[in-house]
Amino acid sequence: MGLYAAWTLKHKPKSLTEVVGNKDAIQKFVDWVKSWEKGIPKKKAVFLYGPPGIGKTVSVEALANDLRMEFVEKNASDYRTEDAVHHFAGLASQYGSLFGGRRIVLLDELDGLTGTADKGGVKAITDVIKSAQCPIVLIANNAYDPRFSELRNYCLLIEFKKPPAGEVMKHLKRICEREGIQAEENALKFIAQRSEGDVRSAVNDLQALAQGKEKLTYEDVSWLGYRDRQDTIFNVLRMIIYGRTCMGAKQAVDMADVDIDMLFEWIYENVPAHLTDPHDLVRAMNALAMADVYRGRIRSTQDWSFTRYVIDYMTAGVAMARKNTKPGGWIPFKFPTRIQALSRSKAERAMQLKIGYKIKQKCHISANRASKEILPYLKIIFRNNAETAAGLAKWLDLDLEMVEYLTGNKER
Amino acid sequence: MSFEMWAEKYRPKTLDDMVNQKEIVERLKSFVKSRNVPHCIFAGPPGTGKTTAALCLARDLYGDAYKEHIMELNASDERGIDVVRETVKTFARVRSIGEIPFKIMILDEADNMTSDAQQALRRTMERYTETCRFILCANYSGKIIEPIQSRCAPFRFTFLPREEQDKYLKHIAENEGVKLLKDGLEAIFEVCGGDLRKAINTLQAAASLNKPVDSKVVYSIAGRANPADVQKMIETAMKGDFLEARKQLRDMIQKYGVAGSDIIRQIHTEIFRGGIPEEWKIKLADIVGEIDYRLVEGADEEVQLSALLARLVEAGYELKKSS
Repeated sequence: MGLYAAWTLKHKPKSLTEVVGNKDAIQKFVDWVKSWEKGIPKKKAVFLYGPPGIGKTVSVEALANDLRMEFVEKNASDYRTEDAVHHFAGLASQYGSLFGGRRIVLLDELDGLTGTADKGGVKAITDVIKSAQCPIVLIANNAYDPRFSELRNYCLLIEFKKPPAGEVMKHLKRICEREGIQAEENALKFIAQRSEGDVRSAVNDLQALAQGKEKLTYEDVSWLGYRDRQDTIFNVLRMIIYGRTCMGAKQAVDMADVDIDMLFEWIYENVPAHLTDPHDLVRAMNALAMADVYRGRIRSTQDWSFTRYVIDYMTAGVAMARKNTKPGGWIPFKFPTRIQALSRSKAERAMQLKIGYKIKQKCHISANRASKEILPYLKIIFRNNAETAAGLAKWLDLDLEMVEYLTGNKER
Repeated sequence: MSFEMWAEKYRPKTLDDMVNQKEIVERLKSFVKSRNVPHCIFAGPPGTGKTTAALCLARDLYGDAYKEHIMELNASDERGIDVVRETVKTFARVRSIGEIPFKIMILDEADNMTSDAQQALRRTMERYTETCRFILCANYSGKIIEPIQSRCAPFRFTFLPREEQDKYLKHIAENEGVKLLKDGLEAIFEVCGGDLRKAINTLQAAASLNKPVDSKVVYSIAGRANPADVQKMIETAMKGDFLEARKQLRDMIQKYGVAGSDIIRQIHTEIFRGGIPEEWKIKLADIVGEIDYRLVEGADEEVQLSALLARLVEAGYELKKSS
């Protein structure tokens, strides 16, 4: 079992020169920050906006690092309490920090302010900006949300756009080099294109597919094609395995673009690595076993309305299993290996099946089962007793290649 | 001297030859007597005589030329809907020539048929009842759709009891001039647990070593034929490595074709043997029994057994905590 650092953190750009794309936006941002050197500008806050995963937060961190500024970050969920707003106001009231450096304050995930409860929050932020003595950065996906209409008047708006696939690919390539992974060009291109400019998800995908490998081929990544960009199977799994409510876990099914059986395989494959507490594991595996019982009942009754119980158990049942497992480091989601296992060692299985068909002619058993249940005994006989082997080879009408396989003279 | 697989050579030819599954055999004999056979489901674990019973029934019914009146189809080789549409229909609809007006279709490993194919089969069974009777052999009757189950007379085959398997193996050993020792016989039952086909294959493989068959020989054969072993899997789970234990389980099922019922049986034996706390033994036996039943009902072997592995991980954890 592996607990790894997330590559999105490990390979996060340390300097603005490493940030993927958005060169113009970044330049505008830097100019504005630098303008503080010459006195407090008219707009005391900057509002960075754009779709998720394209480097807004990372740019602020990298800038603070490049310019050696003290970086203070607050999250949307913190804005509700009065204390937090006061604390925020206190931070923003001084340009210089205790240690003599300059300070930059970031308010991230403003989209997270929701409903009437947070109305006061936006107002409080506006007030703080009015009296701010240091650069304040606001970040949201959509700056044109009506809630922000007044706030916008006090901000310099800078739009971040989705970087082109070529830029994303360069970033992925750099990560592969650092991780010592030889990656095929078209494999990285595929991941980059699928991400549609969401660099964070591209890096997450890359980690899930490439970590621990020396080589990454196009074949390794092509199954990503089954996924929907918006609600990737990984997100669906996260919603189920880390879900807190039954409803939330159940809703994940609607977002998955694989069928119920395939989703079951995904969950069944990934649950054990994510639930390390033995009691949690028992509850989750039992929920999956019950889902499977209902699948069997659907099969025998052909009554598909039982599907709802399959879904209950495999989503809500799994979500509710989690009681003691502490969230650990980053654990990759894996493609269901139960399905992969079947495609392994094709050549050998083909030979075994060929012999299976010969056994079938004589032994009233399917070639399939013969190749698993009788063939192992034939191997022992063929390796120990030439006389019996010769006799049986004749009886079963085996050809030379089959005999060689059974005797192990031509080990595959 | 001629060579055959002994499991084939010593397969009973008539119902009278069948020494086990007494009640089933009696009922089948009454079918022969009345010259009428309903659609049947023969359900039970591998190596318990399902296919043999079907073949014996056919021979008793039609005589030596029985092969002209029956067809054997293996659902796990040809399990798609097309096979049912074409092969089965073509066979089923043509009236048999002779004094018995129907033919017999033996559908082996029918639990491996897709449900679409089973639906198609259900209609075929209804339509051609006059001209063809079906015998469906399956490990798990629960995997046969209910509409078919309700049209068939059910027969449940069970593992052979120890003394019957012993008798059979001794007879073969005598005939083939194999020296089969008492502890060898014991070991075969321990390893094969009433799966007669596996037992005979084990004996034949052991005999190919050209030395007396004792327990050491048997265990070495069993180990080579089924490299994955249940005891090791249990230990892995109890040590807390669920993922590795599940991988071993997967190998057993996929690579070595060990039947779920066989794994269950072995786990059940192991539970009462090893270093599991006493109060856990009965708890686990309860779970094993439940899972055994679910498999009969038609649930997925690996999914159900891995739920059991999770329980073993838990047991191992509790054990460590209390010591």
